[in-house]
Amino acid sequence: MITAGIDVGSLTSKAVIMKDGKILSSIILKSKPRPWESADLAINGVLEKTGLSMKDINCCVGTGYGRDKIPFIHQARSEIACHAKGARWLMPSARTVIDIGGQDCKVMKLDEKGEMVKFITNDKCASGTGRFLEVMAKAMGVELSELGELSARSKNPVTLASACTVWAQADVIQHLNEMIPIEDIAAGINNAMASRVATLVSSIGIEKEVCMTGGVAKNSGVVSSLEKTLGIRIKKIRRDDPQLAGAIGAANYAETLLNGGKI
Amino acid sequence: MTAIDSELKILLEKPLNHLVERAINEGMIPIGYACSMVPEALISVGKLFPVSMRAPGSEGTEMADLYLSSVICTYARSLLEFALDDRYKFLGGYVFTAGCDHLRRLHDNLDYLKKPGFSYILDIPHKTGGAALEWTIEEITRLASALEKQFDTDMSRESINKAIEKTNALNRALSAIGTLRKSKHPPFTGTQYHRLIMASRVSPAEYMMPLIEKFRKTAEDSEGRSEYRARLMITGSGLDDPEYTNIIESQGALVVADRYCSGSFPGLEPLDSSSNPFEALARRTLEVTRCPRMMEGFNSRAEYIAQIAEEYSADGVIIESIKFCDTWGLESAALTDQLRAKGIPVLRVEREYRQSGEGQLRTRVQAFIESIGH
Repeated sequence: MITAGIDVGSLTSKAVIMKDGKILSSIILKSKPRPWESADLAINGVLEKTGLSMKDINCCVGTGYGRDKIPFIHQARSEIACHAKGARWLMPSARTVIDIGGQDCKVMKLDEKGEMVKFITNDKCASGTGRFLEVMAKAMGVELSELGELSARSKNPVTLASACTVWAQADVIQHLNEMIPIEDIAAGINNAMASRVATLVSSIGIEKEVCMTGGVAKNSGVVSSLEKTLGIRIKKIRRDDPQLAGAIGAANYAETLLNGGKI
Repeated sequence: MTAIDSELKILLEKPLNHLVERAINEGMIPIGYACSMVPEALISVGKLFPVSMRAPGSEGTEMADLYLSSVICTYARSLLEFALDDRYKFLGGYVFTAGCDHLRRLHDNLDYLKKPGFSYILDIPHKTGGAALEWTIEEITRLASALEKQFDTDMSRESINKAIEKTNALNRALSAIGTLRKSKHPPFTGTQYHRLIMASRVSPAEYMMPLIEKFRKTAEDSEGRSEYRARLMITGSGLDDPEYTNIIESQGALVVADRYCSGSFPGLEPLDSSSNPFEALARRTLEVTRCPRMMEGFNSRAEYIAQIAEEYSADGVIIESIKFCDTWGLESAALTDQLRAKGIPVLRVEREYRQSGEGQLRTRVQAFIESIGH
């Protein structure tokens, strides 16, 4: 049984091909302005890696903000449900899932069977999302992926006066002009991000194990700052890339569909 | 349903719709109001008719932001923007209540910036009981005198009772249609019913009645809807844009009940037109509107929502509140817990008055429907 999951996000698009519950191949690429273009690129890319073609896929489920615009999927599912499902596949003991995506942040609580029982998402503003980090990294002239490593070397993190993306960017530029070490600014950015996310996590209530999915899960600076702020340990996902959680969840749902289940 | 729905849509496109225009040409006087505590029947006496103030298609509040602070809700700011833009110039006057600070500030600014021919703010107590009733009766009596003086309208008890009957007839007709939503396969969507309700709040009753009848007949001849994944109820701050309901329904929901001040609950309950009309109107304001601004009665308000959810077989409740709405902001937190304790799934969302964050709303609603197992 071969299934595919595709997650068309605002910044990146992800796709996975799974066979009997195991990942055959996966892909993460930058999203195009049109969701169907991103979906085409992602599915073709991931199929190419396996040598399979679309007709070999028994079922495909789509998710992400562009889910309703993907022409080749059998069903669309919300990214909240898919991330919860994918997180559970990546870490079967997970009960609280923190997902920080490109333009939203969500926290999901799962019951012992892995069913989502509660969720909360951020408001419309970019603060507390991947976009916040992207804007800050650009202002600093570093790669997004460098932020975690940089902040680990910080000795004296700065405090950003505001969690608002626009004001925080102005703050970052001012710190750069004052010749403050780039490591301390990076740590300040990660702390600001973590404190914003922590408010959301606290409001839903934490239950162990806690894991993080989405691209920001790969930023060790945000993860460790979040652990400090919340006073908890966030268990690192090792089974696969945490950024693939949504696509994995979608592929899992595709399997449920094939087995005659209702999703 | 498409034909009548399109007619209703047109009525909601701008504050001055063609039915209001027709009424004005025939010598009737539209009175704007922006709170469910305003006794609509009183501004329906004689040649007066009520127009619920909305800001359809609002594109921003640049001018209003100069006068109202950023913690004033976007409903109040949007209305001020429309008034400053002369889109409410056609009104003969405004009647407000001191329902919340936001509406008070709106009233102050309207009075200062765009003084209308008639402007009145009703002072409504935050408690019920004998003294509060007496106070409200006096307030409503004063408003009646002011309206009589300004518009030369007969405000005798007989005239007011006649207006109450007219309002009751309109509300009964709407209510009878609303009851069809209890069925397993209602013949119309929540969005279509929302449009009917809103059109009735912004158009003169006399001209709305034939449209309501047309809606009823069309519903009677329509097939019931079965293509939905979950039946939902919406409750919260004033929600006058049926597009919001439409977004919720686009995710596979069918909105079967609504309880917000501009909706069908609890606003359609008939008033007693046989006795002292001032007392009947005061009782409606204090006891029927069930607004969270009232200091007492949280349990009965929550119970009321749970009861409607049960009557209309809602699978879950969406509690929406406009950002910075003091009354619903506070109420919704406690209400969420209370409803969940009764086993009712709840989704709580904050929104702006103007349609925004559509993608996020779609995702949340879809996830909500999925989480309740549909």
